[in-house]
Amino acid sequence: MVTALSEIPPLLTEQEMTVASVGIDDVAAVPGKRTTTVALDFGRITVDDAMVLYVFGTPGQSRFWFMWDEPARGSVGGVVVVDLRRVEDCFAAVDYFEDRALPFVVAVNGFPGADEFPVDDVREALDLHPGVPVVRMDARVEHALLRAGT
Amino acid sequence: MTAPPPGGPGRVVPVYAVTGGRTRSTGRPLPPESLVSVTGRAAHVTGLQAEYRAVVALAHDPVSIVEIGAHLGVPVGVARVLVSDLADAGYLVVHAAGPQDAAGRPTPEVLERLLAGLRAR
Repeated sequence: MVTALSEIPPLLTEQEMTVASVGIDDVAAVPGKRTTTVALDFGRITVDDAMVLYVFGTPGQSRFWFMWDEPARGSVGGVVVVDLRRVEDCFAAVDYFEDRALPFVVAVNGFPGADEFPVDDVREALDLHPGVPVVRMDARVEHALLRAGT
Repeated sequence: MTAPPPGGPGRVVPVYAVTGGRTRSTGRPLPPESLVSVTGRAAHVTGLQAEYRAVVALAHDPVSIVEIGAHLGVPVGVARVLVSDLADAGYLVVHAAGPQDAAGRPTPEVLERLLAGLRAR
């Protein structure tokens, strides 16, 4: 998704892991892995001559919640990308935005068969507030994303 | 034969040595999206460590702390310390963040401008 949006090649940044996460992402179990940092990718969109929008992509699984705070702070909002084959994976992300009263949209990722699911079913499955937009998109298509974002 | 140093190819000095073991910047908060650029003083930089010189070189056009970290191959926290040091020394200026409301959210004016800018693309 970040790749589709960014005007620069997406960059990887590293964040220090919290102690709590080290226990979950047991680095000792990964041969050759010595650092306790995790990566998130980001891209940049120049909005006008004095405004830049940064788009951060983070892993969606709940065990990565500790990575969401920094990009979320002061952000315009979030896009929760839902893979309909694993809807439950995004529950934590939806909860995260709802708990903090951060604006977000739910974007249904395009894959063969996705069109068979009415948007209302997705809304119901996620128990979304009526004000939360649900859009279809293909994470590789910038156009669809900008529509999702605006 | 010696093993390559940890932290990626090309890095000989560990990042914690560059920052003197510091992981936090002094003074003002510096969010990762903070834009910084060089001041006139940066044209006369001498005697800085390579990492500081690299930050100065990147900041000839406004650049964010998170981008600096990515280009240098160091965690955001390290980039923040480097930027903070350079700002304290007068080599960098940190641009003011956009207007925010009481809850730290972008103001409606900022959102309107963002929307207009994205639609014009």
